Amino acid sequence: MKRRSLRMSALLASAVVSLSAVAACGGTDSSTPQAESGGGPVTITFRSFVKGSDVVTAAFNKTHKDIQVKFENVPSGADYYTKLASSVKAGNAPDVAVVEYNQLPEAVSQGELEDLTASAGSLVSEKFRPPVQALVNLGGKTWGVPRDVAPLVFFYRKDFYDKHKIEPPKTWDDFTKAMEAVKKADPEARGGVFQTGDPDALAAFAWQAGAKWYGTQGDAWKVDIDDAASKKVADYWNDLVVKDLVAQFNTVSDDAFFQALQKGQVVSYVCPNWCAGALQSTVPDQSGKWAVAPVPSWDGQPASGMLGGSSFTIPKGSKHPEAAMEFIKFITSDMEGMKAWLSSGTSSMLPAAPDLAPATSVFKLDFFGGQDIFSVASKAYESIPAGWAWGPTAGVTETAINDQLGKLATGEVRLADVLTSAEQATVADLKTRGLNVVQ
Amino acid sequence: MTLTATPAPAVPASPPPRPGRTGLMPRLLSRTAVNGVLVIATLYTLMPLLWLVMASTKDMRDLFGTNGFAFGQEFNLGANLSHLFTANDGIYLEWLWNTVLYAGGGALVATALCVAAGYAFDKLAFPFKEKIFGLILLGVLVPASAMALPIYLLASKVGLVNTFWGFFLPSLVFPFGVYLARVFSAAYVPDEVVEATRVDGAGDLRTFVSIGFPMLRTAFVTIFLFQFTSIWNGFYLPLVMLTDQHLYPLNLGLYTWQTTGLNQGHPEDYLLAITGSLVAVIPLIIAFVALQRYWKAGMTTGAVK
Repeated sequence: MKRRSLRMSALLASAVVSLSAVAACGGTDSSTPQAESGGGPVTITFRSFVKGSDVVTAAFNKTHKDIQVKFENVPSGADYYTKLASSVKAGNAPDVAVVEYNQLPEAVSQGELEDLTASAGSLVSEKFRPPVQALVNLGGKTWGVPRDVAPLVFFYRKDFYDKHKIEPPKTWDDFTKAMEAVKKADPEARGGVFQTGDPDALAAFAWQAGAKWYGTQGDAWKVDIDDAASKKVADYWNDLVVKDLVAQFNTVSDDAFFQALQKGQVVSYVCPNWCAGALQSTVPDQSGKWAVAPVPSWDGQPASGMLGGSSFTIPKGSKHPEAAMEFIKFITSDMEGMKAWLSSGTSSMLPAAPDLAPATSVFKLDFFGGQDIFSVASKAYESIPAGWAWGPTAGVTETAINDQLGKLATGEVRLADVLTSAEQATVADLKTRGLNVVQ
Repeated sequence: MTLTATPAPAVPASPPPRPGRTGLMPRLLSRTAVNGVLVIATLYTLMPLLWLVMASTKDMRDLFGTNGFAFGQEFNLGANLSHLFTANDGIYLEWLWNTVLYAGGGALVATALCVAAGYAFDKLAFPFKEKIFGLILLGVLVPASAMALPIYLLASKVGLVNTFWGFFLPSLVFPFGVYLARVFSAAYVPDEVVEATRVDGAGDLRTFVSIGFPMLRTAFVTIFLFQFTSIWNGFYLPLVMLTDQHLYPLNLGLYTWQTTGLNQGHPEDYLLAITGSLVAVIPLIIAFVALQRYWKAGMTTGAVK
């Protein structure tokens, strides 16, 4: 009896499933938007993984009757760029796509993006600061429009620092002393984080110190990953790791890191301003205890590097580049667009266009005791050295470094040597791709 | 994201006492060893599930601040569930429904095709039979993820990219199922019965529908479960094929949340991914519990013959 009823229910379930499959398929087919013909609004597609993309799309659609944007929410990470490349190859590319700064040169060199010099070249040079221009202008052409910047700042537990009379460090020498003081005050706690799963964090410190890993010279790529500035940075962090003065985590978006925050085992760390949003939503009960200071520098003068940030591009093959550019301008350079990005109040990103900085006012500052963290970030943005660029093989560089970062503590490898071998791997890969290289 | 839902292996009942007392120690030892391995396997299977259940009941603070295998200070499951079902205008329910269509509908059609093909390979004679069968076996050897990009390029030629069919149609192909069905057919459908129907004047189709298919019911359930789980867990093909989130299956949607949660500095989405994973394993558990008697019977009988 039981056996029969089970079988019957399984059969019934399958029948229902197959029926509804047919119904749903019909629905999906007919709802596919048709290409506009004649007077109707132009429909473009927008592919992004950036939080708030749905909101900014809705805001644009509301105010633009002649252009309607269809948003495609996709996962981020390496898969995103593989997918973008295959979309372009197959002719299914979206009209607008987000590309992170470190990925842009590779996408350009693979021929995945439209040249935006004519439509956005002057916008980029007028609206944004030189360090960001250098990230989207390659070979004298403009390939993307920046949305946000991610200058490093110093997050610290003000209550801990005050209690133990530790000053937020101004120089990297001070930083070492602060790390020692934190460890002394609480042997379980650390005042800094070394990310073993994010080579770009190291790149940001090198950038701050004036390094230029990638550049161009004539028609050749110039690669210098183990220059004096980078080696200085590498030796410095190597030392902190070996002496166990900083905590090691895969990334600052990692489970283990959040747990350590929660337990008070990380009382300060260097992170871009966007970390404020993550910090606030992860450890809400530490509200009012955190503060932000400028990132320590080598000579005590303000200087920062950048970790993260996104630009918006038009992939090759877009049928509506004008409409796409109008949308890109709205989401990168327009006050209404910027306000839409930030309207959820959970994102602490800093607009790349300095005149849009007031849009960040929607982010509540209670978590930081009312401190205006965005003015700290804006000053950090002003202090980023110009001239840093990523290269078309940034992925190879990152992998070469990443594979070794976890081995510093044991003394198995030295970070400075890692940079040298990363440079060799990068140069070799550029040559394999048939590009000219000077070292 | 653990979507594995294999039920824990039951601890075997103690064997009937054997005559003689020799070799008691070795037997005791081997039984301890076997049970030990089973306990480890059970823990290995259940620990992630336990973590998932516990994590789903926590808020952000408890998630990172308390032991992963214990309850947090507050019981937040209700709030998490309502957040899950209302986030992005209830997109999660759409993903769940899509997955049921992809996996349920896809597995049903795929299984019907497999059983028919396997029966044909076993009972009918036609030219190049073994060569064609060899070709199908070749399909078993090529991993699905290696096929994703070629399938994508083909699909974009015929305009199926980013449509329901783009993921559904490739899910209907299941070479291993054809192989299984052939083995089952050889074991379950005696040649004499087929001969008899022929003598009685039934055509091949009639024989299959009225005689062969009913005898292959166990095969049907076994192959169905295989393909159902494989589509349910399929990830790479929908990742390449789909860009409209209203067409996403569950695991792609959950992956989207997880990546914005962990890579994009928005840990609030992480909790969505966790609660979503818990809800996502429930249908699999139901399918397995409801159909496992067929599944077990199918696996062993196929193996003996």
